[in-house]
Amino acid sequence: MTISTSDKPFLTRVKESENDHFMQQSVAKAQDAQWDKRTAAREELGNWEQWRDLGEQIRQHVIKYLPDYLEQFSDNVEKKGGHVFFAQTDEQAVNYIKKIAKEKKAHRIVKSKSMVTTEINLDKALLSLPETSIMETDLAEFILQEDNWDEPTHIVFPTLHKNRDQIQNVFKKLGYSGSNDPEEMAKFARKYLREYFMQADLGITGCNFAIADNGMINLVTNEGNADLTMAIPKTQIVVMGMERIVPSLKEAEVLDNMLSRSAVGQKLTSYCSFSGPQVNGESDGPTDFHVVILDNGRSNALGTDFEPVLQCIRCGACLNVCPIYRHIGGHGYGSIYPGPIGAVLSPVLDGYEKFGDLPFASSLCAACTETCPVRIPLHQLLIKHRKVMMDKLKMDHSFNNVLMKGAGVATSSPILFKIALEGAHMGSAPLSKSKETSVDNLFNYGHIEKAPSIASGWTDVRDLARPPKHSDDFRSWYKKHKKEQQEGVSHD
Amino acid sequence: MTNSNREIFLDKIATKAGRPRHQLKNHPFVPINDLPESTLAGKSQDELLELAQKNSEAVHVTFEKTNRSSLSALLNDFLSAKDINNLILPTCDKWTTFGLSDWENKLVDSAEFWAPESSRTENLAKANAADGAIGFADYLLAESGTITVATTPGQGRGFHFLPTHYLSIIPKSHILSRSRQAMRKYEAAITSGRLTTSNINFITGPSNSGDIEMVLVVGVHGPLDMTYVVVEDL
Amino acid sequence: MKVAIFSTCVVDLLFPNVGQAMVEVLERIGCETSLPTNQVCCGQPTYNSGYHKESNKVFYNEIDALLSTDADYIVGPAGSCVAMLRQYPHILKDNPDYSKKAQELADKSYEFSQFVYNILGVVDAGAQLDAVATYHRSCHMTRLLGEKTAPFALLDNVKDLKMVPLPHLENCCGFGGTFSVKEPEISKQMVDEKVDSIISTGARVLISADASCLMNIGGRFSRRNENIKIMHIAEVLNHNVDASRIRYKNQPTTV
Repeated sequence: MTISTSDKPFLTRVKESENDHFMQQSVAKAQDAQWDKRTAAREELGNWEQWRDLGEQIRQHVIKYLPDYLEQFSDNVEKKGGHVFFAQTDEQAVNYIKKIAKEKKAHRIVKSKSMVTTEINLDKALLSLPETSIMETDLAEFILQEDNWDEPTHIVFPTLHKNRDQIQNVFKKLGYSGSNDPEEMAKFARKYLREYFMQADLGITGCNFAIADNGMINLVTNEGNADLTMAIPKTQIVVMGMERIVPSLKEAEVLDNMLSRSAVGQKLTSYCSFSGPQVNGESDGPTDFHVVILDNGRSNALGTDFEPVLQCIRCGACLNVCPIYRHIGGHGYGSIYPGPIGAVLSPVLDGYEKFGDLPFASSLCAACTETCPVRIPLHQLLIKHRKVMMDKLKMDHSFNNVLMKGAGVATSSPILFKIALEGAHMGSAPLSKSKETSVDNLFNYGHIEKAPSIASGWTDVRDLARPPKHSDDFRSWYKKHKKEQQEGVSHD
Repeated sequence: MTNSNREIFLDKIATKAGRPRHQLKNHPFVPINDLPESTLAGKSQDELLELAQKNSEAVHVTFEKTNRSSLSALLNDFLSAKDINNLILPTCDKWTTFGLSDWENKLVDSAEFWAPESSRTENLAKANAADGAIGFADYLLAESGTITVATTPGQGRGFHFLPTHYLSIIPKSHILSRSRQAMRKYEAAITSGRLTTSNINFITGPSNSGDIEMVLVVGVHGPLDMTYVVVEDL
Repeated sequence: MKVAIFSTCVVDLLFPNVGQAMVEVLERIGCETSLPTNQVCCGQPTYNSGYHKESNKVFYNEIDALLSTDADYIVGPAGSCVAMLRQYPHILKDNPDYSKKAQELADKSYEFSQFVYNILGVVDAGAQLDAVATYHRSCHMTRLLGEKTAPFALLDNVKDLKMVPLPHLENCCGFGGTFSVKEPEISKQMVDEKVDSIISTGARVLISADASCLMNIGGRFSRRNENIKIMHIAEVLNHNVDASRIRYKNQPTTV
């Protein structure tokens, strides 16, 4: 399993992100631009909440009957002369693909963007084959590859963290002598990749949706590289997560619309293709067509609270609205699946030991849940992960368990709370400052700049209001207020 | 043989989910609403044309309206405006329908054709060398400015992606409101046997990418520009 | 109309001014208030941190306490805490003792401004405040409680108050309950961006319907030594009130 993108501890990654100003600025800029585009595209469609109902229904339905749909799909692929391989693990998937590459004597492999092939670390495995070269043909993935296989930071915009100058330097190594203008650099990539494409003998793609009732696969892109990958080489291997399936072309069409609007704010992306092995009379397209259906930890979600994570259509909208992602970026998460969906999915695929930090890296603001086109309750699933870690696995997650359990006792007991109210002002005396603050009407009873224990996280960043004397607190005021009211009434 | 591992795989996920296999027959998918059908429903062909133009231009498409008699002149204008020297055309029986038989005949020597009898390598090389393609679309979707094409022996996959400039001809009667209507047509054609194809492309404007600093650049792998020509009297 | 005050632990512990303003506004509009004494906390701190077993006792206590007085409605000065009460029926749906009570509680619980605007139908609370202010929209109030209109509508009618829109209204302030304490490194960056956004508006007063967000943002303002006045929306609606100006929905303006 290689969804991990870093061996560094979570806090180190957060610190590195904080110092990466270009990354932070470009993420913020991307989020803001996408916010407007996405909102406009959804409003233009109209009835967005009802479209979400439909999207959720389609995805929940196929997850519920997943084995049946996969069976139907694989039957239909084989009817068309294709082959289907079911892989429980990344290793099985990689071995199968290597076997096909060897059988076909593939020397030049083209790939179109696929998160699932990144997940199984396919590129490096194929490069180990003798006399084999491989080319990522999505512009962003191509840049990452040529930059010594840098890790992606977004599931839709993998190079969000790189600026044009860095990309220009990457291209210089390939003989590029032009400016840092994105258009000029893209033209260079077009020419460079086209030459490679025309010689390619094996194409590897991902799959947005597999069409159960006709065995086609659906790919949604903007550049056209996926279509060249499916047109030119004689052999095509499709790698798909086992949950990426729909009943028919009709549901694929619904989800393509929702995906395009959610991912990039377009009504449809430039290319939505529905494709299978070449049929008689056609001259291009794959004569040899393989689909690898991958579990690789996805089934851990089945039958659990986390099943809704399999509804995901990988639009990345939750990343684009997430205030945490905005600041720590993709590398902060340390998983190829970052952002809210990554914080839910990564521990499901690869466990809490590696990704237990991620569910806590959320303010539970629910922007993700609100934007998800297929209604995955993302922030609630984050709470469920926390529950598994605390209640079930008894992990002591940098937060002091004794203290938090104490908080549970204290906040369930009116008597203890009353004692707290009575003692809070005096108890905070040694910590409090009476010095002036720049803020009016928040620190009416003083403030605290350095608090002990679990509250130190608070005062590391901000001042804390000091509790009022018990006689000045709300409960005491209310008692007096009621008494005055009653006396007032009796005076009348 | 490839499916020797299938049963183990499917049994495992059924067990993990706690739901038995083979339940779908009694629980087919029934959509909870008809938005895909009802959205933009009931529009006249004129309204669809207007919508199609607006939405195509919004995705950087050059949108032309013409009629059968003026079509060839418009195509010639396109060839000279784009300075096209290596044209590729499809092999199909639509030329007569569109009143282009003479126009096509004149180009037989100078243009290349995606030919059913040619090999993969030959057809792909022709398309790759072409700086222009003129092809026929099955449908045009008004909502998104999308042309749809099913791969045929005479108009292969590479035809739509390899040339530099691309022009697509669509009869006005083939403008549909949305992707759902196109899907219904394709499903019906495939089921009835009228259409045998390995591939259906929905193409919305020229190839583009925002991968470098999210700056939109046009023409990364596919055509650099797109022209749609709607023939109003067909 | 009888209203039980859901005071919230934050207001009980730290901000008497907020609770007081809320009670005064409600009583002015004709509500008869009560304050259930055994209430402590909605349980979010422990529940959202994953300590679900410990949280159940907190929920039971809060449900019993808030339902202990005879009231038509339960009203609190915090969108987030009220959203938590509204989640009780879902969390406790399989609990034979509490599922019904949880539903009863959820059905009559409202955040202060949504109660005033949607239930009481008040559009102008009669308040006056001569200030330039901006409003911070709390995430839970907006997304979990689904209340996007009430506070804006009420503030729009405060006499002499100039409301300036806050850029990036949609972004969380970085409070997130225990998140602010547990992940200060990330929380700091979020609250800094929020502080910067507020400063960019030129507003001198920051208003919100969630005391916890205000505690976070105001605390950061103070640490950065930037000037701002913090006001809960109840305090604004309770400021310089001229009761003759109180106006209800569907009521023709007489002036």
